[in-house]
Amino acid sequence: MTYSSPSRVLTCIQCGKCTGSCPEAGRTAFNIRMIVRKRQFEREIDEALPWHCTSCGACTLRCPRDVKPSEVIIDVRSAFVEEGRIPVSIQKALENTFVQKNPWGRSRARRGAWVEKADVAVPHISETSSKRLLFTCCIQAYDPRCMVIPVNVATLLHRGGVEFGVLGEEEACCGNEIRRIGEAGLFEELQEENIAAFKEYGVREIIALSPHCMNVLKKEYGELGIKVSHYTEVLADLIAAGKLRIEGRYEKRVIYHDPCFLGKQNGVFDQPRSILRSLDGLELLEFTRSRETSLCCEGGGGRMFFEAEGQAEVRNAEVRVLEAMEKGAEVIATSCPFCVMTLEDPAKEKGQTVKELSEILMEVT
Amino acid sequence: MNLLVLTKRVPATQEEELRIVGDGRAVDLSKVPFKVNDWDNYSVEEAVRTVEKTGGAVTAISVGDAESDEVLRRAIAMGAKDGFLIETEEVIHDPQARAALIYTFLKKEALPYDAIFTGVQSEDDQFASVGGILAAKLGLPYASMVIGIDAFEAGHVVVRRELEGGMQERIKVALPAVLSLQSGINEPRYVSIMGVRKASKVERKVFKATEYQEHVKRMIDVVKWVYPVKKGGAVMLGGELDTVCKNLLGILKEKGVYQ
Amino acid sequence: MSYALVVAEVRRGLFEERNLDSLGLSHLLGMETTLLMPDGAYTVGERVASTIIRVRTEETIFLNPLAMTQIVRKVIEAKGLPGAILFTSSSSGIELASYLAGALDLPLITDVSGFDAERGVFLKSYYSDKIFGEFKPKEGAFVLTVRSGSFKEHAVEQESAAAVEVLDGIIPPEGRSFVEYVEEEKGEIDITKADFLLSVGRGIGSKDEIPAYEELAGILRAVLSGSRPVIDKTWLPKPRQVGTSGKTVRPKVYLAMAISGAFQHIAGMKDSECIIAVNKDPEAPIFQYAHFGVICDANKLRDKMKDIVKKG
Repeated sequence: MTYSSPSRVLTCIQCGKCTGSCPEAGRTAFNIRMIVRKRQFEREIDEALPWHCTSCGACTLRCPRDVKPSEVIIDVRSAFVEEGRIPVSIQKALENTFVQKNPWGRSRARRGAWVEKADVAVPHISETSSKRLLFTCCIQAYDPRCMVIPVNVATLLHRGGVEFGVLGEEEACCGNEIRRIGEAGLFEELQEENIAAFKEYGVREIIALSPHCMNVLKKEYGELGIKVSHYTEVLADLIAAGKLRIEGRYEKRVIYHDPCFLGKQNGVFDQPRSILRSLDGLELLEFTRSRETSLCCEGGGGRMFFEAEGQAEVRNAEVRVLEAMEKGAEVIATSCPFCVMTLEDPAKEKGQTVKELSEILMEVT
Repeated sequence: MNLLVLTKRVPATQEEELRIVGDGRAVDLSKVPFKVNDWDNYSVEEAVRTVEKTGGAVTAISVGDAESDEVLRRAIAMGAKDGFLIETEEVIHDPQARAALIYTFLKKEALPYDAIFTGVQSEDDQFASVGGILAAKLGLPYASMVIGIDAFEAGHVVVRRELEGGMQERIKVALPAVLSLQSGINEPRYVSIMGVRKASKVERKVFKATEYQEHVKRMIDVVKWVYPVKKGGAVMLGGELDTVCKNLLGILKEKGVYQ
Repeated sequence: MSYALVVAEVRRGLFEERNLDSLGLSHLLGMETTLLMPDGAYTVGERVASTIIRVRTEETIFLNPLAMTQIVRKVIEAKGLPGAILFTSSSSGIELASYLAGALDLPLITDVSGFDAERGVFLKSYYSDKIFGEFKPKEGAFVLTVRSGSFKEHAVEQESAAAVEVLDGIIPPEGRSFVEYVEEEKGEIDITKADFLLSVGRGIGSKDEIPAYEELAGILRAVLSGSRPVIDKTWLPKPRQVGTSGKTVRPKVYLAMAISGAFQHIAGMKDSECIIAVNKDPEAPIFQYAHFGVICDANKLRDKMKDIVKKG
C-alpha cells in the first residue's frame, strides 16, 4: 500500500504562499499555485510543467490549508506516467530502476562493491547482532564521487563503536525519487522488495546515508517498527557522548547548506551543526536562507534526471555558491549526496570546495 | 492492418561482468536481470502507432521460456491486442532454427497479417538474421534497418532504411512483408508498472515449441564460449599528433562513419 | 577446391574498403575467391580475386535482398554451389545475407570476427563483445557476414589478374524497389539518431572554441554534442546535451573531446559502440569507458585533424 495522502485541492484558498516559497517560482514557468488552481477546475496542465518541481517540500511546509501541493505535483505526474507521456530521460531512469533497481542502470550485482574500498570490515546485516542496517543509496553505491561517503561513514561508525551491516546487492532503490516522479507501481515494487529484505533479516534500525532514503524509509514505508535516522544524527550523538573522538583541528570558515529532505522535511537541522561546531578552529557560517528556508539545490524530485525546458539562467546551486563566496566561506558543507553533486559543479568553476560532512570528519578523527 | 510483432526477453548484460562456466560450456546468466529487447520495444511501439493510424490490431509473439510472458504483457500494455508465447526452455542460438520455428508456427496457426515487424537484432546474440530468414521462408519481401515508415498503404509500404553516415535509402515494399526496425525509429512510450499489471488481464496464449518442429533444423553449433582477446581498458594512441590523427581517421573509416 | 563467393558492398560508385575483410577471410578459408559486384566504374584491383563477376544491373540492385537472391541463384546455376558466401557485416550486408540464407536454406553466422582454420570454427560476438561464441556450421556451404577490420590484412593479391565474367538478365523484383537516396535533414538535430557524435566538454575552454569544432564535425560528417556544463554555459543548445538529464546516445562512434567523464555524462553515452576519448588529464574517468584514448589537448588535436583532412 503506497503512502498517499489525498490532495485536498478544494481547500486551497489561492493565497500564494506555496509559490512564494518555491525555488522554481519566478525563474521558470512553474507556478505551483496555478497548478493547484487548474486541478481545482480539472483543467489540463502542460506536460512539460510538472517536471520543474524539485520536491523540496517548502510549499507543503508553509501551506496554511494543508493542501500538500507536493502531493498534487506527484498526482499530476502520475497521470502523465500512466499515459506514458514523460520526458525520455525520466523514462530511462524509471526503466533502469525497474531492471537494475537503481536509476543509473548500474549492475545490481555491484551495489555492494563499495565495501571493498572501506578500511574496516563491513558485514552483511545477517552477520550482526544489532540488526542495525546501513542503507547505502543508489548514487553512493555507484558514483565514484559519492562512494567515499559510505566508505567514510562505515569507518566513522566503526570508530564510534557502532555495529552495523549492509544488504549489499539485496538492497533496492529506496524509491523516494521514484514516488516523486509519480511511478506509484514501481515505488510499490521497490518498497515491497526492501521491506521483504528487512523482515527476512530482522532489521531493527536503519541508518540512512542519504536524506532522501531516510525520508521515504521513515515516513512512506508504513509502520515497520524500525527506527530510521540519518547518519548525522547518529554521529552527532556519538561525538556528544565522547565515543567518537575529534582529534585534529579544522581551521576553516565553513558554511553549512541544509538539504531539503534532511532539514525542512525532517527537521534535522541541529545535528549536522553540532558536528561542525565540535571541530576546533572551525568557524560556522550560515546562509541567509538556512534551516527551514534553505534554498533548494534543485537535485531532488527527479531533477537529477531531467532538465526542464526554459531553465533559468542561473541555477540555485550557483546562487548558493556565490553567496558562500560573498560570506567568505572556504568550504561549503552539506550532508546530502544530491546537494554535493549539484553544488560541486558551479563550485569547481569558481574555485570553491564542497565537502560532505563525513569528508570533513575523516580529516579530524 | 493486422500486424504481428516479434518480441524477445533478453538478459540485460550491458552493465554486467559475464563469467563463462563449465570450461566454455555456458555463460552464467543466473544473476543477470532480464528485460525486453530494446529493438523489439521500438518495433512494438511502431506497430501500435501504425494501427493507431490505419486501424487494425497488433499481435505480439515471443519465443522463449515461461518468463517471456513479461514482454508480451508489456506489448499489451503498449497497445497490442494480444500476445502469443511459443514456449521453450531451450535457448535457440541458431537464427535458422529460431526463424524456422516461427515459420512453422505461423503456417500451422494460419495467423492473418499484413506485415510482420521484428527488431533489427536482439541484444544478446546480435545475429540480426531472424527477420530476413523468416521473410525468405515465407516468400515475402523484406527490409531491415528500417528507420522510418513514410507511408502504409493497402498494398505496399514506403520506408527508409539506414545505410551509413547519415545516408538512407527510400524503398517501396509490397505487402505482406517482413520489416526489421532499427532503434530510434520512434520514441517508445513509457510503460508503467501499473500498466503492465493491467495488461495481465488480457489472455496470453501459450503454445509449445515442441509442436512446431517440422521445419526446424539446427545448422550451426556452438562449440565453446570464450572471452574476448583484448580485455577492457582503452587502447591508448600515442606518438606524434600527426600519427595519432591519422590513426583516428583510420578508426573512423573502419567503423563506417567516415569515408 | 570449392570457391568462395564474395558479394561486394558498393555505395554510389565506391567499392567499400570493408570488402577487403571478406576477401581476407575467404583467403583464410582456403577457397578460390569469386567476387560478385555490379558492372560499373569501380576502383578495384584486377588481382583482388580469382574471378570477378560483373553483374549488368543498377548499383541499387545490390542493395535489394530479393534481387540478390536471384543473382546468386544464377551464379549457382552456372558455377555450382560455392563453399561459402561472404557479405560485409553492415546495413546492406546483413540484410542480404539473412534473406539469402533463408532462401537457400544455408547455415548463417553473422559478424564473424575470427576464424580458427584448424578447428573450422568462426568467432562471433555475443553480449556486445563481452563474450565470443565459437560457431561451426554443419557440413556443406554456409553464409557469413564479416566484421569490418577483422581480416583485411589477409586479403592477398592473386598471382594473375582475375578472370572477368559478365552476368546479365537480372529482372528487378516487384516486391521491393529502390526509390531514392535520402540525406538526413539538417533541420532539427536529434543527436540520438546520429551515427557519429563529436562531443565537447568544459575543457575546451570557451565558447570561442566552438566554431572550430563545428567545422571539424562538418568535415568528419559528425554531429556536434556536449556535456552538461557546455550546455549550461550556453556554448551549445539544449538538444545537444548528452547525459542523464540530457539525452542518452548510442552512436557507432562517440568522440569525446575534453570531457572528463563525470558519472552523469557517462550514463548518457557508455553504450556507444566505439568511444574515443581525448583529454589532457590522464586520470580523467572517461578513459575507463573509452575504447581508444588520446592524452593531449583536445583543441590542438582538433586543429591537427582539420589540417590533415583538408590536405586529403
